[in-house]
Amino acid sequence: MARLAAILTALGRATGRDQKSVFSFAGNSFFVVSVLVMQDAGLFVYLLVALVAIIPLSTDPSRKIPPSRLGSWPLSRAERWILRIASPWVNPVTWLLAGLAIAVLAGTVTIGLWLFVAAIVLGGVGVSAIPGSFEHAVLRHVPGLPGVLNQLVRKDLRQILSTLDVYLAALLSGVTALLRQSGIEISAHGLMILTVLVVLALSGHTLSLFGRDIPGGLSRYRVLPLRGWLSIASKDLSVLLVSLPLLVPLRPVAGLGAVLVALAIGHRSSVRAQGMQFPWRFSRGASFLPTGLVQAVGIASVTAIVFVHGPLLLVPCVVGWGWSVHHYGQDIDRGVAWLEASVSRRRSIRRPD
Amino acid sequence: MISCRAIRRDFGDFTAVDNLTFEVPAGTICSLLGPNGAGKSTTIKVLTGLLPLSGGDAQVGGYDVKADLAELKRSIGVLPDDLGLFDSLTVAEHLSLTAAVGRLDSQTARLRTGQLFEALDLESARDTFISACSHGMRKKTALAMALLPNPKVLFLDEPFEGVDPVTSRTVCELLCHAARKGTTILLTTHSLSLAQSVGTQFVVMLDGQLAWNGSASDVDGPLERHYFELVGSQQPRRVDWLGWRQF
Repeated sequence: MARLAAILTALGRATGRDQKSVFSFAGNSFFVVSVLVMQDAGLFVYLLVALVAIIPLSTDPSRKIPPSRLGSWPLSRAERWILRIASPWVNPVTWLLAGLAIAVLAGTVTIGLWLFVAAIVLGGVGVSAIPGSFEHAVLRHVPGLPGVLNQLVRKDLRQILSTLDVYLAALLSGVTALLRQSGIEISAHGLMILTVLVVLALSGHTLSLFGRDIPGGLSRYRVLPLRGWLSIASKDLSVLLVSLPLLVPLRPVAGLGAVLVALAIGHRSSVRAQGMQFPWRFSRGASFLPTGLVQAVGIASVTAIVFVHGPLLLVPCVVGWGWSVHHYGQDIDRGVAWLEASVSRRRSIRRPD
Repeated sequence: MISCRAIRRDFGDFTAVDNLTFEVPAGTICSLLGPNGAGKSTTIKVLTGLLPLSGGDAQVGGYDVKADLAELKRSIGVLPDDLGLFDSLTVAEHLSLTAAVGRLDSQTARLRTGQLFEALDLESARDTFISACSHGMRKKTALAMALLPNPKVLFLDEPFEGVDPVTSRTVCELLCHAARKGTTILLTTHSLSLAQSVGTQFVVMLDGQLAWNGSASDVDGPLERHYFELVGSQQPRRVDWLGWRQF
């Protein structure tokens, strides 16, 4: 039993560390702003966050053991069975389900809610059971664009579509579209606030555009004979391609201005202080103070200004975005970009080969 | 074709490459040798613009690595130590990316890609995402990306590591063929036999500094013997508990 306990302890530690990264959204502009500004009124938004976050939390912990490692351990058949049965219990989501089941028996929670949560958890377990399913089966078909940036934009689209930010934004946008379709009127100001929320949900990614390219991809960007502004523009293009359809049910013109401002502000941290990002997590972005705060204020202000004064106000947004692309593109051209990338800091600790 | 004069690269207080001077003429295959941590990969990184120089001057293909970085990148092919691959692209998409950025016309790109796939035995993996590829497949993809634009200068960091013997021989033949046609190649490797079979120049580094720079004709006998004379052979430490039989 001692070796089973050791394996389960290690699994618990690995699961705990993994789940901590799911909660990385706590420092995101979206979450911070919704907590600070909406407070209790933001319950609907928090539920959406929980809904999106519970899927990556619902992975089967036993899958963290590489099959080759599990196969090489001298465990008996009985021990393997015990491991299989016990391993889900190192995941707090299993305890949550068990707790809810007790609450159902006590009559404080409806069976419908329990079944709803259980279905989401089972969905998460099912998705995690198929290795690389979504990337390999669905994201493979992401279309490219004609021209030099084709594969870069395709890659960036796949990267964005494998962050949780997009699905949070899509839920907000989708629910709004459904409400409007069903004849429920949402006030103009309500739509404006939802536009800000959708852009905020996507803003974490704009603060770390190259985060999924660490470590190998950054080397490729450095050696590609491609002007720096084009590298940044390809990233921005993919963000726009994802954002614009989500903004259609809301205030698309004001939203476009807000996305351009988010990108323009995000270029600095994306090029100068890049942090590593992981698939199926919320983008961590830069720290909220000061970059996230400046970006959040910029998003809210521009959405309101373009909404009130009309699409002509998009012109300064486009000019500002263009300047930012050019300016930070020069950092890439000069070879000084990403020197502060998290991987470089780690590597500088040991003697480079 | 490659010229380094007193190049230096610091990481804080630590100097990874220190006052390194050497030249590699056009059409030469130069093997950069040395133990782990000698500064080989850092040298490749500063010569390809992956890292800025802390001191000294270097020219590659006539371009200054500090002043003409954009032009330099157009004339070189690089196999970086971390391979420089994107998890979200397939093997074929990586080659397509290189062809598009290198401004190859579609017919040339298709022809060269097909030939490289065949030569490096990559055909079966062409639609596989890099995240699902074995280390050897990734290495071969990165190598194919370096070769595809047919650059004037090739920088290959450990091209034979993780690659099967048959492909290694193919790679050696490809490199020798390219060098005969004027391509300059700087590669790092820990395989001294492969280095000797392809290399026409050897640069040995120790603790970031140049330990020896010579041509194939300067090596009398196996390169291994010469290397151990330069680097020194450490007596392996004893681990007495290892093994079952009691003496």
